[in-house]
Amino acid sequence: MLVLSRRPGQKIVIGNEITIEVVSVSGEGVRLGISAPDTVSVHRFEVFEEIQAANKLAEINEAAIDATSLKDLSEHFKDRQK
Amino acid sequence: MATIMIKGHQHEYSDSDVITFAEGLIGLPRIRRAVVLSMNEFEPFCWLAPLDETETRFVVVDPKLIFDNYQPKFHSSASMDVQTYAIVTIASDWKQTTINLRAPILINPEDRTGSQQILTETQYHFAERLPQD
Repeated sequence: MLVLSRRPGQKIVIGNEITIEVVSVSGEGVRLGISAPDTVSVHRFEVFEEIQAANKLAEINEAAIDATSLKDLSEHFKDRQK
Repeated sequence: MATIMIKGHQHEYSDSDVITFAEGLIGLPRIRRAVVLSMNEFEPFCWLAPLDETETRFVVVDPKLIFDNYQPKFHSSASMDVQTYAIVTIASDWKQTTINLRAPILINPEDRTGSQQILTETQYHFAERLPQD
């Protein structure tokens, strides 16, 4: 991992289009300003971790599929559709 | 026509059905190619079946069929007619089932490329309960 020291007002650049500026530092907290193209998603890492965990939880093994539960679900929402 | 097995049934699909995920799914980068298949008995829910593994499956659904007012803003790369699926986590009691509205799967119908995008809108949750009424 690359580790850089920066002061408030200073920036780093990633690739040609992404810049990260240290806006301010107070106590334990650092405020960052991120400029990136619309096509690049920027999120707090915690959000990313939550989605990672949710995806892993949703992954099911072909053999372990609970068809009964899915059928119950399907029946419930079929009715709602129209 | 190739086939894939889901719940004991062979499903046919053609090359044009294959969705390519350049970056995989979030936390699951190995999932690069998949097909979405629907089975009458499970509609409106569908299967997202990765092609490079024989055992992994996901249950997905078009979230707008369940949440009428689901209208998230996507990054500008997503065109208006993009196909949206939300990943569903099935519980043995269907009432405990959750849906990931925060990180939908977007599929471009023109070139069949797909991506999973985390929305910036925090009102959408990654483990939302399904409406019970």
